[in-house]
Amino acid sequence: MKDRLIVSASPHLHKGESTTRIMWIVFLALVPAGAAGVVIFGVRALWVILWSIFFALASEAAIQAATKRKVTILDGSAAITGLLLAYNLPPGAPLWMVAAGSFFSIAIGKQVFGGLGQNIFNPALVGRVFLMASWPKYMTTFSKPLSYDAVTSATPLALLKESGVPGNISYQDLFWGLRGGCIGEACIVALLLGAAFPLFKKYISWHIPFTYIATTGVFTYIFGAKTFFGGDWMFHVLTGGLVLGAFFMATDYVTSPLTRRGQIVFGIGCGILTAVIRLWGGYPEGVSYAILMMNAATPIIDRFTRNRVYGS
Amino acid sequence: MKKFFHEFLKGIFRENPTFVLALGLCPTLAVSTSLTNGLGMGVAATFVLLGSNVIISGMRNIIPGRIRIPCYIVVIATFVTLVEMTMKAYSPALDRALGIYVPLIVVNCIVLGRAEAYACKSSVTNSFFDGLGMGVGFTLALLLISGIREVSGAGTILGREIIKGFDPVRVISMPSGALLVIGLLLAFFNLIKRKK
Amino acid sequence: MKEMVRYGVTLSLICGIAAASLAAVNLMTKSRIIAQAQAEEGTALKDVLPQATRFEPVKKDGETLYYKAFDAQGNWTAVAFTADQKGYSSVIQTMAGMSRDGVISAIKVLSQNETPGLGSGVTSPDFCGQFSGKAIDGLAEVSAITGATISSKAVIDSVKNKAQEIKELIRNEG
Repeated sequence: MKDRLIVSASPHLHKGESTTRIMWIVFLALVPAGAAGVVIFGVRALWVILWSIFFALASEAAIQAATKRKVTILDGSAAITGLLLAYNLPPGAPLWMVAAGSFFSIAIGKQVFGGLGQNIFNPALVGRVFLMASWPKYMTTFSKPLSYDAVTSATPLALLKESGVPGNISYQDLFWGLRGGCIGEACIVALLLGAAFPLFKKYISWHIPFTYIATTGVFTYIFGAKTFFGGDWMFHVLTGGLVLGAFFMATDYVTSPLTRRGQIVFGIGCGILTAVIRLWGGYPEGVSYAILMMNAATPIIDRFTRNRVYGS
Repeated sequence: MKKFFHEFLKGIFRENPTFVLALGLCPTLAVSTSLTNGLGMGVAATFVLLGSNVIISGMRNIIPGRIRIPCYIVVIATFVTLVEMTMKAYSPALDRALGIYVPLIVVNCIVLGRAEAYACKSSVTNSFFDGLGMGVGFTLALLLISGIREVSGAGTILGREIIKGFDPVRVISMPSGALLVIGLLLAFFNLIKRKK
Repeated sequence: MKEMVRYGVTLSLICGIAAASLAAVNLMTKSRIIAQAQAEEGTALKDVLPQATRFEPVKKDGETLYYKAFDAQGNWTAVAFTADQKGYSSVIQTMAGMSRDGVISAIKVLSQNETPGLGSGVTSPDFCGQFSGKAIDGLAEVSAITGATISSKAVIDSVKNKAQEIKELIRNEG
């Protein structure tokens, strides 16, 4: 049993784990990135996070109560959805918009399909894409890091898309998260720190994050510049929501493939789509769309990467 | 008279083309972005439905069974072209707004569906009321969908702003919003039906 | 064989009646459709070049290339033209007025079927007003509508390209 996933291909062996326990461990693993976001972008970011989690829990409870099902807001899944949605929002996002996104994530992204385990798409990303399509103005206004006084600045990827050059930013700055961006995606150090424990305990497998980030890196290295093999792959890996998405959103148990082979296909697909959107697409960043598209492809990946029946 | 009324009402509730039969969803998705477009489409489709139902019912004994579909299509296409020319002459603005979707009424499955399922075996008056009911049911459904989409997606009613400073939910007026709204409404009507 | 003849006769009868009724309605509406189009063209021309008193279409191969606009004294002062380009969900057709040295006086969107409340914003005075008084090269400064970059770009680019084209055409004329 190398895979310690709760949902895995057969044969199954029961361990003392529960969904709730794993959910809260992943939640804790996400906390450092949020804390870093609050330090970088100011206390406004904290309000966005708390507001988003609160509304996710409230929506889940309200819908479950209204449809006369068991209220399961303590299983941690709604809290993670709220947290991840907040991490994908700019720190200055208006709170009414955060509430709308949180509600949409839970209601349309998850409960419409029948609740936890039934949803096709990652609920937090459904919420983010909904907000992006509805209120692009607020979703693309980012505040400057460490300024705390509502000075706006474009993200490095947006600068790259508009002018062709990423602006004056060093890899160190990107690594520590000193750039404009969404709350939870900025600080790479904190994300890696948080991901280390669940990765070590194999709550999240390395297959998706590794192949995802590597594919994006290779692809942007080959096609990222005017000549082949000259792209700034390091920049593309460190910026945008790639690390957050690869470790915490593409690895969602419900919406990613079960087998390791499937997960590798999933990761490569996400990587190619992200790079394609960033390099040639209409939006500066493609992580959320890439993951959602691969979510849609998950059933078919599962079907073609089924493990062989032993002995056949 | 009561029987005619029954034929008329069934298209509005019990056999509503959009929410119960789930017919003609393509134009519903495409033109339901504003109330004016929804109403224009609904009225145009109602007229075509009425005309084709009456004519096809009147000719149901002349048309040989094996070539009935081409005959229906010719009748329907004629009515659609009449509507299109009238619209161009008297309401160019609406004609532009509905664009390609008016000619596409020809292949709107409500029209052909009613011809095939009802008009070809019912009397002219019954077919008239069936067409009217289906048309009105389609129009009401379009008005409901386009009303929701215009108010929430564009923040206007009939092109007029409702509340100053309201940031509309833009996605609702995009194609994805049409699917969302229709899906939720279908779920809602199924819920009501099940409760009964 | 007899069946086939019956089918043929029935179908051609139905088609004949359909064709006749269409011809009749076409006869009744044709003049009105043309009149509507002309009236719209007239108001659009007046909208983009309000100070002109007379317009004269310049045609080539039966298609109107542009309109010459004359002031009250009968001097040829400006031109008007239509430009179109694919936007987000439809072809956006725009009419623009331009002085003879290439300064846009005003534009008006003639037809579009963009997303209501988003791309349809290209018809708003806030957007169209930006074109007034700008030279062809200055059109790059027109700022796109938030969330509707594709629709805005379609209008800006189509007007810009067509304006350049027309300016070349009229340069050699007196």
